[in-house]
Amino acid sequence: MFNSTVRLLASFTAPENITVNPQSMLWMLPLAAAVAVIYKVTKLPKITARVFLKETVVLFASIVVFIIATVAVLWFVTWLAIE
Amino acid sequence: MRTIAETIDRVNHGLLLLIVVALGWAVPGAAYLLLGETKRAFLVFVTISITFAIGIYVGSIGVVDPLAETIGILGRLNPWYLAQILNSPIVFLIGEATTAGAYPVYGKPQEIGQLYTSVSGLLNLLCIINCIYIAQLGTAIGKEKKNV
Repeated sequence: MFNSTVRLLASFTAPENITVNPQSMLWMLPLAAAVAVIYKVTKLPKITARVFLKETVVLFASIVVFIIATVAVLWFVTWLAIE
Repeated sequence: MRTIAETIDRVNHGLLLLIVVALGWAVPGAAYLLLGETKRAFLVFVTISITFAIGIYVGSIGVVDPLAETIGILGRLNPWYLAQILNSPIVFLIGEATTAGAYPVYGKPQEIGQLYTSVSGLLNLLCIINCIYIAQLGTAIGKEKKNV
């Protein structure tokens, strides 16, 4: 089991081809989902499917909205600086 | 003065905390399983494994490199590696194979791979700390008030 896990992970020896474009920003979504899931796993007193899903989705949406708001502010500041 | 029974209790409790830390590091979520939190164990294992696997898939095993290209505050030790090693001891073995740029990776794949593998390691650290909390108090966060 351990050896097969190491062999499987070690078989990823070539990186994927990811270019820098607006779509590459979408890579933040799975990471934000992982953070939301783990945070709620550690914070909820009891894990039930309904409450857990609701809380996780709310946190995930909060993270994404905050990032978008930050991007908007930074874009506006940059726009002010160059205009 | 402590009685022998109290001393044994303290030693056993310290041992439990050490086992929780070791198990939580060895396999993400395993410490929750030890503490009887099956759902948390499953969620942690799946989430951290997938996050780490995405990082390795996107950036290749080259994103796990113990040695940095330049000498910084930590000497030649790559700071990203400190976060990645928190995932599991398996990262040690990957690091052995990739030391000193054996599998070079640059640009966006490196950035995304490093972020995913490092964040999953830090999330595992959060879970280990939470397990210590549960092992110490015998209850999950938010349930303490009922026990007072």
